Amino acid sequence: MAQSTTATEKYDYTIVKWFSVMTVVYAIVGFLLGDFIAWELAFPALNAEIPYITFGRLRPLHTSAVIFAFGGSALFATSYYVVQRTCKARLFSDTISWFTFWGWNAVIVLAVITYPLGLTQGQEYAETIWPIDILITLVWVAYFINYVGTLAKRKDKHIFVANWFYLAFIITVAVLHLGNNLQVPVSLTESYPIFAGVQNAMIQWWYGHNAVGFFLTAAFLGMMYYFIPKQAERPIFSYRLSIVHFWALIFLYIWAGPHHLHYTALPDWTGTLGMTFSLMLILPSWGGMINGIMTLSGAWDKLRTDPIIRFMVVSLSFYGMSTFEGPIMSIKEVNALSHYTDWTVGHVHSGALGWVAFISFGALYHMIPKLWNTRIYSTALISLHFWLATIGVVIYIVSMWVSGIMQGLMWRAYDDYGNLVYSFAETVDAMHIYYVMRAFGGFLFLIGGLIMAFNVFKTIRQGVREAATATA
Amino acid sequence: MKHESIEKNIPLMSILVVIVISIGAIIEIFPLFWIDKTIEKVEGIRPYTPLELRGRDIYVREGCYNCHSQMIRPFRDEWERYGHYSLAAESKYDHPFQWASKRTGPDLARVGGKYSSLWHQSHMRKPQSVVPESVMPHYPWLEKSKLEYGNITGRMNALNTAHSIAYGETMYTEDMIANAKADLEAQATPDSNTDGVTTRYGNKVAFDNFDGKAGEITELDALVAYLQMLGTLVDFTNYKDQERY
Amino acid sequence: MSEENKSVSTTGHQWDDEEGYPLQELNNPLPTWWLYTFYFTIALSIVWWILYPAWPMSESATRGTLGWTMHTQLREELAAAKQGRAVYEEQIDSMSLNDIVKDSGLKAYAESAGKAIFGDNCRPCHGQAGQNNTPGFPVLNDDDWIYGGKLANISETINNGRGGIMPIHLESAGGSFSEAQVNSLVDYVMSLSGMDHDAAAAAKGKALYNGDASCYTCHGNDAKGSLKGKADGEEIDDSVGAPNLTDAIWLYGSSRDVIYKTIAYGRNGKMPAWGEGFQGFGKQLTPLDIKKLAIYVHGLGGGQ
Ligand code: HEC
Ligand code: HEC
Ligand code: HEC
Ligand code: HEM
Ligand code: HEM
Ligand SMILES: [Ca+2]
Ligand SMILES: [Ca+2]
Ligand SMILES: [Cu+2]
Repeated sequence: MAQSTTATEKYDYTIVKWFSVMTVVYAIVGFLLGDFIAWELAFPALNAEIPYITFGRLRPLHTSAVIFAFGGSALFATSYYVVQRTCKARLFSDTISWFTFWGWNAVIVLAVITYPLGLTQGQEYAETIWPIDILITLVWVAYFINYVGTLAKRKDKHIFVANWFYLAFIITVAVLHLGNNLQVPVSLTESYPIFAGVQNAMIQWWYGHNAVGFFLTAAFLGMMYYFIPKQAERPIFSYRLSIVHFWALIFLYIWAGPHHLHYTALPDWTGTLGMTFSLMLILPSWGGMINGIMTLSGAWDKLRTDPIIRFMVVSLSFYGMSTFEGPIMSIKEVNALSHYTDWTVGHVHSGALGWVAFISFGALYHMIPKLWNTRIYSTALISLHFWLATIGVVIYIVSMWVSGIMQGLMWRAYDDYGNLVYSFAETVDAMHIYYVMRAFGGFLFLIGGLIMAFNVFKTIRQGVREAATATA
Repeated sequence: MKHESIEKNIPLMSILVVIVISIGAIIEIFPLFWIDKTIEKVEGIRPYTPLELRGRDIYVREGCYNCHSQMIRPFRDEWERYGHYSLAAESKYDHPFQWASKRTGPDLARVGGKYSSLWHQSHMRKPQSVVPESVMPHYPWLEKSKLEYGNITGRMNALNTAHSIAYGETMYTEDMIANAKADLEAQATPDSNTDGVTTRYGNKVAFDNFDGKAGEITELDALVAYLQMLGTLVDFTNYKDQERY
Repeated sequence: MSEENKSVSTTGHQWDDEEGYPLQELNNPLPTWWLYTFYFTIALSIVWWILYPAWPMSESATRGTLGWTMHTQLREELAAAKQGRAVYEEQIDSMSLNDIVKDSGLKAYAESAGKAIFGDNCRPCHGQAGQNNTPGFPVLNDDDWIYGGKLANISETINNGRGGIMPIHLESAGGSFSEAQVNSLVDYVMSLSGMDHDAAAAAKGKALYNGDASCYTCHGNDAKGSLKGKADGEEIDDSVGAPNLTDAIWLYGSSRDVIYKTIAYGRNGKMPAWGEGFQGFGKQLTPLDIKKLAIYVHGLGGGQ
């Protein structure tokens, strides 16, 4: 472990440590919010007539907390870690690093304050009000400079593949954020977007879909490309596949937005493009999965002994599944059934829990002992976390598939005479049991998260103590 | 060109990324502004009255879009359940659009006039009192909070600016802005003189004491006024599908 | 560390090699199944672009050779549905309500159709199977009717809507009676259905009821409501919609408070008009739909 002492000095690990700790914190916050709103749907009395915690205000807080706070922190932490280690260079600027840390956390804290107060722009995943949007822009520009600045200092001429994905993510998210937040302010907290109706819808889902594509997919593929070969101790399966699937992925993803707007007032041509580009996206998406799985092949024996590898394998499986399910849901006839139902929510969480959260857990368990120059406190607890999380996701997704498809079928169920069978209220009633199941699955997932937090906390304490005795 | 030269060159790689991600966006978004058929030609579409506008702000604030869509798709079951499919024209003044992506509750695109304001009052106070199966939260504070409309002209001006940046025309006339406060109060006071509102916004404006409390204008007044206008502007008795793809 | 997979070399690059396992990349070719499936999805997309509207141009988008649009699809669906129901609907359209209910086949059809419309349009006010949940919205499956429980009454109610007006009486709210007077009216109303009341006040209330307050003009001298009651010996116009006050069935509730509110501040329950009386707001129902609904509501339990 002598090497890592030099690494600790050479690289800015402090910023990575802080972002890692915040990742764990926000994981708990985001899962807790998710599970709470899941219970609210099962038992609406939990809204308790308190404006600040009603479903309508907390749901966006959940999505932002998991995507931007948990996912975002995980990406900051890992991208800063990966770029330094693969470039053998310290981050471009410590000042900028800290600005991104405090800036990003300020964004999150402001969102946590404003959403429950009802201060929102009313567009999914872009609910932050305009002053926060400006702060996000500043942080993002700083992030770009810091990232590219570090890349510029690299020792090897070739940029490692993980960094391509992180770079594309940083650039694209900047473009998306600016494009979807063109607002005219009314006051410090309120504004109206310049676009309306169809154009607003198209731009929102260009943003929304690519938030998925770049925030939740491309960037996490970057994470995958570093941590899987590292943890499995295997070379990446195919350099050529990396190249082809990288460019194909980022090119095709952008087009798929209209699959969120099938059969709406948007003209038909957008739907055809959205659908076909989604279908063409299957293989480029799977390129990442294949590269990951084939990298792991040959390390299968580790699956039994190393729960971190297990997290990684399962995350790739969910990634493969959700990027297959997504294109299927993009087919107009399928979307006619799935749209507006829990099926979408199930799909979201097979991607978000199964892929995004699992690969992040794997990365954290790999990285945290290295950052604090120690061993993980308990491998058994990682295993426990793994099982709770896996069972939790499966319960979540299965209950949403059932409820989603049932909901879709009930809405369009006809009796022998050709008359609608169910009133809307009856379909709401039929969902109850699945909402309870989902909330229970989410609860297991949350407990898994808490176990991780405990394990990480103990590991850090252990690292700090060892460092103290070493210097003493 | 070998990929090596790209992966060794940060500016080149960055520029290529920008180009590659721009193509799809440009081709899908920009034509929506110039293809004439995108928005149907129909009569009756008007901007929201000041009261409805405030109601819409509250709708956004409460995050109703997290459970309710406002976009009826052209399917037989939706046709029978909710009515005529939604037109693009019907949301041309929606900054932001509220089509939403989840139907935990029913579509609201044509809920206007479907229920009485009394029903909405009971429903918003406690949805389970009218629909026992409902999972909708209670919103008792709406009828207790006085509607804030001091800055109504500021809002309308902001919308004018927003709309003209994107579409080259304003939403509200000067007359509408000058009379905004009076119009807002008149709409929530059915026995007042409402001619001005009708002249400015047409004869499809609903006047009511929407919250059931005379003499005061609450947030519930605004929200219900908004709900009561949804989907009511276009007369579909003679509407024919327009050649649009 | 040497590879098991000796046949494939790495690209020769290496990153992060100071600690742990260095990052390397193998030179494996693209998996052929991957590549060919990718080509297949591209080919499939091209076919789709030819068949369906797809690419935006300067004036319009490409049309697609199938001529399909989501609206043509809808029209086909609706036409097919109409055809499937034509057997019943043509008869229902041409027959009178009373004749339809005599034909059990047609009645069953009408009830199924009526139930579907009721569920999403009427149920939120009147409750499932017409059992209401909320004060102000009448129960439809009992035999207590405000506007009449015959098929014709029901269909008229749905077609034109109803808006019973119970006037304001309290002086401070715009009426012309003092609080004490209103309270005595409340006592009288409570006495009518045998609830606890102050007998002296009720006597004063009775005088007002049949006198200055002229409640009897709507609710009738015997307070049996506009449907059954008589005022000054004449039948009351039943379209007034004043409920029977003697039957212990309450539209708004039986507590003293609620009755006080009704008399003091008035009521104006609104049943929307769904047919000819439709005001141009919201959803309009066709005459056919209204027939089906009337039959369904009539069959809920209280039809006369
Ligand atoms: C947790 C989900 C949820 C939220 C948030 C929510 N609703 Fe609902 N809403 C429902 C459900 C479920 C129903 C169907 C049952 C019922 O009528 O209550 C419904 C029904 C309705 C209806 C009746 C629609 C019809 O055609 O019968 C209206 C109007 C409505 N909601 C308005 C709102 C408004 C306005 C808000 C925000 C202030 C809101 N809802 C927030 C779930 C929700
Ligand atoms: C906004 C709520 C609302 C909706 C929706 C509604 N009703 Fe009503 N309905 C009422 C009210 C309130 C009354 C009582 C009117 C009065 O007191 O003047 C009423 C009265 C009636 C009556 C007369 C009851 C009697 O005792 O005479 C019938 C029948 C009826 N409704 C049927 C329907 C049908 C069928 C539908 C659906 C097409 C429907 N209603 C939808 C509120 C509603
Ligand atoms: C112009 C006709 C009219 C007059 C006069 C009138 N009422 Fe009514 N009353 C009605 C109508 C119509 C309703 C039903 C209101 C509704 O459906 O919203 C009603 C409802 C009521 C109810 C509520 C019944 C229930 O089931 O909840 C009470 C109690 C009542 N009236 C008492 C009185 C008394 C006492 C007076 C005289 C002081 C009076 N009314 C005068 C028309 C009248
Ligand atoms: C304990 C874990 C979680 C639970 C119990 C949970 C629960 C929920 C619930 C109840 C909803 C609302 C669904 C609805 O409206 O019907 C939701 C929405 C959502 N959640 Fe989660 N969630 C969890 C974790 C996550 C994670 C980790 C992510 C992302 C990384 C995520 C991303 C989302 C997104 C994007 C939506 C919006 C879906 C849509 O609009 O269709 N969730 N979640
Ligand atoms: C090839 C890849 C994918 C395609 C083509 C795809 C396609 C789709 C489709 C068709 C919908 C439903 C839209 C609707 O009916 O409203 C959807 C929703 C969604 N997907 Fe995917 N998906 C893919 C991968 C993923 C992945 C990997 C994730 C998460 C990590 C994800 C997250 C989401 C989210 C959050 C939504 C909900 C959006 C909303 O309505 O709020 N998707 N996706
Ligand atoms: Ca959504
Ligand atoms: Ca009022
Ligand atoms: Cu998408």
